[in-house]
Amino acid sequence: MVDTGSPRSEPRVAGAAAEDRRAALARFLAEASGAVAVELTGLTPLRGGAIQENWAVDARFSGGAFAGEQRLVLRTAAPTGVAASLGRLEEFAVLKAAFAAGVTVPEPLWATDDPEITGKPLFTMRRVEGTAAAHRITRDAALDPALPAIAERLGRELAWIHAIRPPRADLAFLAPYEEVGPTQQIAGFRAYLDGHPTPRPVLEWGVRWLETHIPPLSDPVLCHHDFRTGNYMLDGTALTGILDWEFSGWGDPHEDIGWFCCKGWRFARLDREAGGIADRARFYQGYQSESGRSVDPRRVFFWEVLASIRWAIIALQQSDRYMIGGERNLDLALTGRRATECELEILMLLDPGGVPNGA
Amino acid sequence: MRDLPTGSALLALARDVLLNDLMPLLPPAAHLEARLVANSMAIAEHEAISGAAPAQRILHELQELYGERGEGEEGLMRRLACDLRAGAFEEGEPRERHAHEILWRLTIAKLRDANPRFLNANGFS
Repeated sequence: MVDTGSPRSEPRVAGAAAEDRRAALARFLAEASGAVAVELTGLTPLRGGAIQENWAVDARFSGGAFAGEQRLVLRTAAPTGVAASLGRLEEFAVLKAAFAAGVTVPEPLWATDDPEITGKPLFTMRRVEGTAAAHRITRDAALDPALPAIAERLGRELAWIHAIRPPRADLAFLAPYEEVGPTQQIAGFRAYLDGHPTPRPVLEWGVRWLETHIPPLSDPVLCHHDFRTGNYMLDGTALTGILDWEFSGWGDPHEDIGWFCCKGWRFARLDREAGGIADRARFYQGYQSESGRSVDPRRVFFWEVLASIRWAIIALQQSDRYMIGGERNLDLALTGRRATECELEILMLLDPGGVPNGA
Repeated sequence: MRDLPTGSALLALARDVLLNDLMPLLPPAAHLEARLVANSMAIAEHEAISGAAPAQRILHELQELYGERGEGEEGLMRRLACDLRAGAFEEGEPRERHAHEILWRLTIAKLRDANPRFLNANGFS
């Protein structure tokens, strides 16, 4: 979720030479695609999540349905993770379900748990063009006129994701909503805070508010759970792909709406409440027109408070990787400081007008 | 006891050199990391300037809330966290307002050091 900025080496199997890994990848691509042979012409690490590694793969396919030059992405787990997330084969299944539902995602191609390539399960997808750089998207004045329409389109995309509902045999690995709903999330937050070396009274107050304001359960839908600016690609003003499905699961549809709108994901434009790109109205309009369901502002508010708490805890977990895990990474170390930004937002949401004189 | 310029003044100057003199010499791939270094220096500079005063103010507030003089900041802060989890101060009593004011003061004081720009962007000076 957070860019580590750390340099990466090639996907690696202990003891295996880089050439062997490349050969294993080429073999896998050939077998999976029905090609006679595949020649790798490029293998480059992509900047991306702290939890997953993404590699740009350029390959020349001889024979089969993919004959010719192909531009792909290989996605596999990074050496360290931060929070419970889906495995790559599961994420691949979710991506396939989203693709089949008409959501704009990179086309998922093939997955394998063969350890010869990276030592970990992986999947491949088509590489889509564009940028996901949130600061650029929210800051680029040239993009401004197109952003409201992009927000509306993202609302529609979210409605298509939420049209995927349980039960689904292909997604049977996803935990039932009753096991991952707000009550369980609150318990998870408290378990984390109990083990944290420093007391965080603002988070405790926010979690207590959540506990006493849980909305009635709604029919669960597939939630992306990290649907936000920074996780979709724009090529110019065209949406080319919604990325990073590793946190997907069954949830309340308002969960994704609250996450998209929460202040932590508005980047350079705090005033544009829908992901730093537009007013909420355009985003909601897209969602409502496609889903046929109206957005309930009270439910969004609940999930937005939860989003700020979730973001704060993720930020603290990132800095734990330096503070506790000893990972030498300045970006991770600094991310912990962002928890206080979330705490300010929690106060602004739950105690508006409460700022004491002289604070 | 210490010589001048102060540590915070040196940090400010070093940050200026990093951003304005060294940054143009670095390859673009290193710019993000250099900005993170500059951000870290800014936080250290702000914390050196504000010193122990913000923590002292919060301790004073906590001691007033609890009527305690003996316990230190860490212990009282932990007590406040536990009380808020348990739903204390929720009866509209004056102590509820006082507890919330401490949360505001604590958060604003931390952001003054860590991210004053974010504070400004949210309408706080």
